[in-house]
Amino acid sequence: MSAARRGNRARIWKPGDLRLLVVGIVFVLVWGGIGFRLFDLQGNQAVALATVGFDQRISEETIAAPRGTIYDRGGVELALTIDGWNVVVDPMMLDDTVMAATVLAPFADTSFEELVTDLTEGQAKESRYAEIAMRIDTAHKEAIESAVAEYNAGVDKKDRLTGVFYREQPLRVYPAGSVAAQVIGLTAYDMNDGIEGLELTFNSELEGDPGRLIVERDPSRRIIPQGQVIVEPAIAGSDIVTTIDREIQFAAEQGLRKAMQKTGSLSGAVVVLDPDTGAILAMANAPDFDLNDRSSASPEVLRNRAVSDMYEPGSTLKVLTIAAALEEGLVSAHTMIDTPHSIEIGDFTYSDDGYNPPQMSVRDVVAKSSNIGTIHIEQMLGNDRHYDYLTKFGLGRQVGLDVEGERHGTLPPTSQWTATSGSSIAIGYAVHTTALQMAALYATIANDGIWTEPYLVDEIIQPDGTRITTVPRAHRVLSPETASTVRSMLGRVIEEGTGKRAALTDYTAGGKTGTSFKFDVERGVYSKDTYASFIGMAPLNDPRIVVAIVLDSPHGELPDGVSLSHGGASAAPVFAEVAQNALHQLGVAPDRD
Amino acid sequence: MANDYHDTKPISFMHREAPLKPDLILVLSYIVITAFGLLMIYSATAPGLEDRGLDPTSELKEQAIFVVIGFIVFGVVSWMDLTEIRGFTTPIYFVSVMLLVLVFLVGESGRDDVAVRWIDIGFLRFQPSEMAKVAVILTLASLLAAVDPPLRWITIAKSVLVVALPAGLIFLQPDLGTMLVFAFVLIAMLFVGGATMRQLAFLAVATIIATVGVFQLNLIKDYQVNRLTAFVDPGAHELTLSYNQIQSEIAIGSGGMFGKGLFEGTQTNLQFVPVQSSDFIFTAVGEQFGFVGSAVVIALFGVILWRLLMIAQRARNRFGYLVTMGVAAMLAFHVFVNIGMTIRIMPVTGLPLPFMSSGGTFFVVMSAALGLAHSSWIRRPPVPGEVRHRELTSRVG
Repeated sequence: MSAARRGNRARIWKPGDLRLLVVGIVFVLVWGGIGFRLFDLQGNQAVALATVGFDQRISEETIAAPRGTIYDRGGVELALTIDGWNVVVDPMMLDDTVMAATVLAPFADTSFEELVTDLTEGQAKESRYAEIAMRIDTAHKEAIESAVAEYNAGVDKKDRLTGVFYREQPLRVYPAGSVAAQVIGLTAYDMNDGIEGLELTFNSELEGDPGRLIVERDPSRRIIPQGQVIVEPAIAGSDIVTTIDREIQFAAEQGLRKAMQKTGSLSGAVVVLDPDTGAILAMANAPDFDLNDRSSASPEVLRNRAVSDMYEPGSTLKVLTIAAALEEGLVSAHTMIDTPHSIEIGDFTYSDDGYNPPQMSVRDVVAKSSNIGTIHIEQMLGNDRHYDYLTKFGLGRQVGLDVEGERHGTLPPTSQWTATSGSSIAIGYAVHTTALQMAALYATIANDGIWTEPYLVDEIIQPDGTRITTVPRAHRVLSPETASTVRSMLGRVIEEGTGKRAALTDYTAGGKTGTSFKFDVERGVYSKDTYASFIGMAPLNDPRIVVAIVLDSPHGELPDGVSLSHGGASAAPVFAEVAQNALHQLGVAPDRD
Repeated sequence: MANDYHDTKPISFMHREAPLKPDLILVLSYIVITAFGLLMIYSATAPGLEDRGLDPTSELKEQAIFVVIGFIVFGVVSWMDLTEIRGFTTPIYFVSVMLLVLVFLVGESGRDDVAVRWIDIGFLRFQPSEMAKVAVILTLASLLAAVDPPLRWITIAKSVLVVALPAGLIFLQPDLGTMLVFAFVLIAMLFVGGATMRQLAFLAVATIIATVGVFQLNLIKDYQVNRLTAFVDPGAHELTLSYNQIQSEIAIGSGGMFGKGLFEGTQTNLQFVPVQSSDFIFTAVGEQFGFVGSAVVIALFGVILWRLLMIAQRARNRFGYLVTMGVAAMLAFHVFVNIGMTIRIMPVTGLPLPFMSSGGTFFVVMSAALGLAHSSWIRRPPVPGEVRHRELTSRVG
């Protein structure tokens, strides 16, 4: 390019002229823009953005409150919460799912193949969560930790197994297994929400108040040391001391289990009461299950039948009519009562089993369980007084146990009674009761005429040590003399009446058999199946226990041909066994040799 | 024969008659920004490294090695004469292009696992695309210095070709951000190099057409499109793409006027902000030192650019002038796009912040580039026995 040509051009480029100035102005404008934006962010929006950042870091967590322990009356743990763990993995943190499954499968809830599938699918779905072993104890968790550590020690850093997380999961355990299963009940899978039994009824006392932890966390969920922390500590749940005696409960369950095997009953319940206090020493139900094995829990086995199953009590209720007539001075133990084979009331014919003499003393009416005799005595009493005693003995209403599913039974008011109601109720039909209500009725006789409300929870021990003790309601129904007279009548039932098989070897005892036909709701008639029951007390002079046994639909025969459908055949022996064991357990001196 | 409007002989420090005239403001700004960058890298990486049971200073140490290398390179390049360096322009250009081709054969991907940008030669890994930036500046400067303004269309065409070869290879890596650096440097150098307004308008239209075409032909990877759309509509990508930018904005904004103090940056130190030691290093400044600290950093970059404009204005020859302006354009573009990304006025392009972001090749290349400009300043006129170019051009005119 020649100088001449350059000279022809009008303008010659000079560095540092206008264009350099333009570049400089552009720089200034751009830099000013950055500064303006920064000022906007860090000046105007600073507080708002700092709040957004704080909200990201802040995390509010619940501190689990230790759930209260359920004790038996002697301080034996029936239900308690221990440290436990959920082991989970983040599939996205695994390099090799097959390798991870190989290490973890021996400890996992699932098989190796299932685990590989789980983890591989988890990765495909970009899931951050897969369950390995849920609700395991500390020993199990430590086994997993050491297996992972052992594996990691043997491989390169980059091949290490990471992404296994151990999350605290308190475990609810039941050291006694199936003992008092229906009474204690269960918690939900979180192990802190009662869903059955005492766990449910006293859930608010047991669960305590969870605390709150408000902390700042980094993106890896670690707590920031200098961060803001607010801690509201958890308040532990209260402990509950039940009236259950584990040994007596065990004995009651053993006795019931044997009877169930022998009779093939559909279900059964045993209640053991301390008549002096109303404390429920045992409440056994069959069929039962192991509290530590949830898979065995079904609605059938979860029922606390002693309070939730109603039945017509049959002959065991005759005692109420007799006691009322005695208390009212209408009869004495030796008053003779007409006992024809059958009588017609309204359009219904009542009759007695077997062959009774035409007249029987009141105590023989009890010993032989005469329907006709009892109905005649009830007629002396009249509907109003009869009803009065039925309510005083606690029938037709809940005993106030606060156990979920407790039924109050049925007791129609006299205004609804028909011509046959009084007679039917006298012999234990037309009313429905629970085993516990019947046990309380007999406890009144055992406790010199004072009805005491049965109770299951003796004390609630709050975390600060405060004890709330149950004071049961009580009222007099019978004079001590009447109660004593009835007891001796009940003694004769076992000595020479229908309850011979209830006799104890070491103690005197009294009781009453009961056999009522089950009402077939579908067909609207009474079926051949029975509720066989026995309710008794021992020792007879100063009873320390009342035991009630109810079996639903027992079958078969004893060797001497007696049908097991009768309470005297199937339920009475259970009384003998349970009462004997319970009295030994309570350290009561034998009064019979 | 270079058709320069005046000839300048190489001046060796060994044999120079004029005294050394380093630009102390430039050198000091460069050192202060670099030192501050090291501190920021440490504050951003130490907690994370400590958590992983590693040496909390390991990333700082690694970067410090490159800082030392970078300082040496800056010194050596400053000491060399641009006229000598100009003689190696062609080999430098072709070696750079060959290395870019080599990336496709033996390259490795970095931590984002998306693009292949690295060459590993055993003792070090480097990014040929960074080296190409300097090679292109030198080549363009040499090309444009050889002609007088106003430029002719043939020169424009040659310039576009010189840039298109490496830029195309980088686009295929793919590295959209670096390619944009080349485009910007090209236009900036043509502007100061004397392109006519008509030529510049043509280039602008061509660039727009090319951009639209690239999108239409689906030549851009999905993640690049997403980055851009996330910028426009961050709410739609809250938890994925623009997460980085939202976190960055929160971190910078929460710093307020005076910042939370060193090591007190809850967002950056605790790694809410990703890649906070490289692409998002500026968030560490904004959060820990607030508006005041950010403004100081911006101002330091402003000082460097001001010095580069002064150097260009007083360059001894057209080559030095063009090289300096190329370097200034490249630095300014990086700073603007990077900081703009952290404060959400620019989309995420993955361009690091010069002298502060961690990254070995990048620091050394930026130091070399600054050294080129500094070399021009050290030998600024008047040089004994040499006519000032201003007087020379006036005389020609």
